Amino acid sequence: MSTDNTVTANTAAASESGSALGPFSLERGLQALREEMDAPTAAFFSSCVHCGLCAQSCPFFVETGDPKYTPIHKLEPLRRLWEQEFTLWGKLKARLGFSQPIDDALLEEWEPLLYDSCSMCGRCSLVCPVGNDIQAMVRKTREGMVASGHSPEGLIAASVRAVNTGSPMGLQWKTLDVQIGHVESASGLTVPIDQAGADYLVLLSSMEIINFPEYLEAIAKIFAHAGVSWTLSKDCFEATNAGVQIGSKDIAAVLVRRVVDAAVKLGVKNVISPECGHAYTGIRWEGPNVIGQRYPFKVFHIIEVLDQLRADGRLRTEGMETDRLSMHDPCNLARKSGVIDEQRNLMKLVAEDFVDMKEHGKYQWCCGAGGGVSSNERAEELKMAAFRRKKAQIEEIRPDRLVTMCATCRTQLEEGLEEYTMDIPVVGLTEMIAEHLVEDAPPTAAAPVKEGAPS
Amino acid sequence: MTLGETLERNGISRRGFLKFCVTTASLMALPPTAATAIAEALASARRPSVIWLSFQECTGCTESLTRSFAPTLENLILETISLDYHHTLQAAAGEAAELAREQAMHANEGKYLLVVDGSLPGPGSNPGYSTIAGISNLQMLEETVAGAAAVVAVGTCAAFGGLPVADPNPTGAVPVSAVVRDKPVINVSGCPPLPMVITGVLAHYLTFGKLPELDEYGRPLAFFGQSIHDRCYRRPFYDKGRFAETFDDEGAKKGWCLYRLGCKGPMAYNACATMKWNGGTSWPIESGHPCLGCSEPDFWDAGGFYKALSVPTGNIGGTAAVAGLAGVAAGAVGGYLSGRAKKDARTAHRQVTADELEQKL
Repeated sequence: MSTDNTVTANTAAASESGSALGPFSLERGLQALREEMDAPTAAFFSSCVHCGLCAQSCPFFVETGDPKYTPIHKLEPLRRLWEQEFTLWGKLKARLGFSQPIDDALLEEWEPLLYDSCSMCGRCSLVCPVGNDIQAMVRKTREGMVASGHSPEGLIAASVRAVNTGSPMGLQWKTLDVQIGHVESASGLTVPIDQAGADYLVLLSSMEIINFPEYLEAIAKIFAHAGVSWTLSKDCFEATNAGVQIGSKDIAAVLVRRVVDAAVKLGVKNVISPECGHAYTGIRWEGPNVIGQRYPFKVFHIIEVLDQLRADGRLRTEGMETDRLSMHDPCNLARKSGVIDEQRNLMKLVAEDFVDMKEHGKYQWCCGAGGGVSSNERAEELKMAAFRRKKAQIEEIRPDRLVTMCATCRTQLEEGLEEYTMDIPVVGLTEMIAEHLVEDAPPTAAAPVKEGAPS
Repeated sequence: MTLGETLERNGISRRGFLKFCVTTASLMALPPTAATAIAEALASARRPSVIWLSFQECTGCTESLTRSFAPTLENLILETISLDYHHTLQAAAGEAAELAREQAMHANEGKYLLVVDGSLPGPGSNPGYSTIAGISNLQMLEETVAGAAAVVAVGTCAAFGGLPVADPNPTGAVPVSAVVRDKPVINVSGCPPLPMVITGVLAHYLTFGKLPELDEYGRPLAFFGQSIHDRCYRRPFYDKGRFAETFDDEGAKKGWCLYRLGCKGPMAYNACATMKWNGGTSWPIESGHPCLGCSEPDFWDAGGFYKALSVPTGNIGGTAAVAGLAGVAAGAVGGYLSGRAKKDARTAHRQVTADELEQKL
């Protein structure tokens, strides 16, 4: 790496000046890892006590029993770089030829460990006795994997589609437009589009548009019922962020910027992330950091908005579900964002017989599909292996149906339950609430909407 | 009656008991299989006799022990060991109390554990500074230690002399280890010690019939093996050079490192940072106060509590000063170089684009 000060941040200049950082290469990957190196990372690696608790907390290890799936072990490329370039002993060892190289073979070997066997669910970070945020370091290491050309094809394709078409699944507005038509004819309501000055900009995930169109219908019904002013945006309807999953802050920034531009253009006060876990952490927590600025609006998960409407007395429901219901907390929502009570408050509203799984809320077990695992075809087998942990949890309490609030979790739960021939339907919480609204009540559209009401 | 039976009679569930054994095993860095061994040994052990002597002390150590959270005093100490003599906790008074001590000594000759908290006026000083039932501390200790299997010096006063020994040491106080030479002494220091350390040591003794591995100051390595600094959750701020300079500045509010406010974390060896206090609620540094280093020898005389460690407390040689400066310079250069590697990497960053990714497909 040249230390010449004339090398500028301008990427074009960097490549023209003969920098080694051409197309994806080992050196470019190492530079990306160096960029990610910071004091917490150094402190984390220094303080790992090799206790192995992270292994016990990881569904991929627990269900396969293969020690290579120990979370901290997945960080070996980043750890080696830290040791060899950022510690005195490591530098000496490297000088004397005692250290193992970080080469393409290593990165290739680690690619499945970093992508296929990690949903960045954060359970390892939660249980680490010395407080190492392992999942955050997995996220960092993925930056190096992308830049060195070692990321899975499925995630690359999703990222390309997300940037080029606006959706990781390649959906375009016209597809959503068709679904909007269905929703409008089914509900008799109008779905507002590009309404400047609305209180809420509603974002969706492609999974919802294709697999669970009832979600949009539910939103339309609930917001009409509660008199919430909302809108969709033609410029940006998708909240998921393939950049966060593949581990590229550059791609992530493009996708976050798209949401911010759409929200600013319409002048909305709040943006609602869909029933999608990583979309929420992506737009709410990682977003301002990747674009390097504060948002002029607030971000909520739909469940937070619904719970605030409930607290404000704006959700009037009738009837109760009588079968035995349980709930799967999405990792991004519960463990990583602390949204735990909200969904339970809403369940109380409509469910008579609700039972939590033994480990729920921040201790819940991941479904196995998040963090890009579900977009990575190669990971299919591991994904289903990790699901066995969730299956064991479900079997412990044997509910009649499961409720969740993340389209990816929901898809994985449905697929997994089918694989194990367990006849337990999975429903979205928003739809369940919509089904219980008092129908003939006059809409309270006139009621003034409090600024940034939900918090 | 065995300990297992005693526990059962007192309504301690098997689960609660095993939980304690697992916690103890992990806290003492024993292999997981040790939990089973501890459980088996504790459950079938006869109640060992413990005599607890309190000398020049403030009863803070007993207070600490009675606040032990897992297990509580009730379900471990009082119920599983036979605490035959303890000034503060025993119901008996006067001659009956002293009789209990003598009986326990005779009945368990060579087998009882002697726990001492507090320092005592040394052999050369006026014994009148501290007496119990007309017996000087020194005499009582010598009498009682003769038939003991081992001595546990609980608290910094018993382990290192503590406050009574602080300059000018008017009572001529000495720690237990200065008097007891022919019996194993285990120092559980701290002012007060962590309750779990006291009970952990007792459980280890009951299980394995011997004392745990000790450091150079006679403290159990499992609990005193690492410095507060190494386990402090504020450590990342130290590494980044972010320090609170006063107790109410921006740094203090943001929870930055308290090193410059005199934190003795780097030279204090104890388990506070991991085990915390009051059932894991908090610990001094978490509440915004620097560590005083209370588990270390001579901590009262080791310089001002609010003086940073890097500020010399006494005369240090010129060599040390030069070495120190050189170390600071080397650290700064090292930090600068590492910082530069990161900055260079950022400068050379080439943006990842969708087009570029597409070529991979």
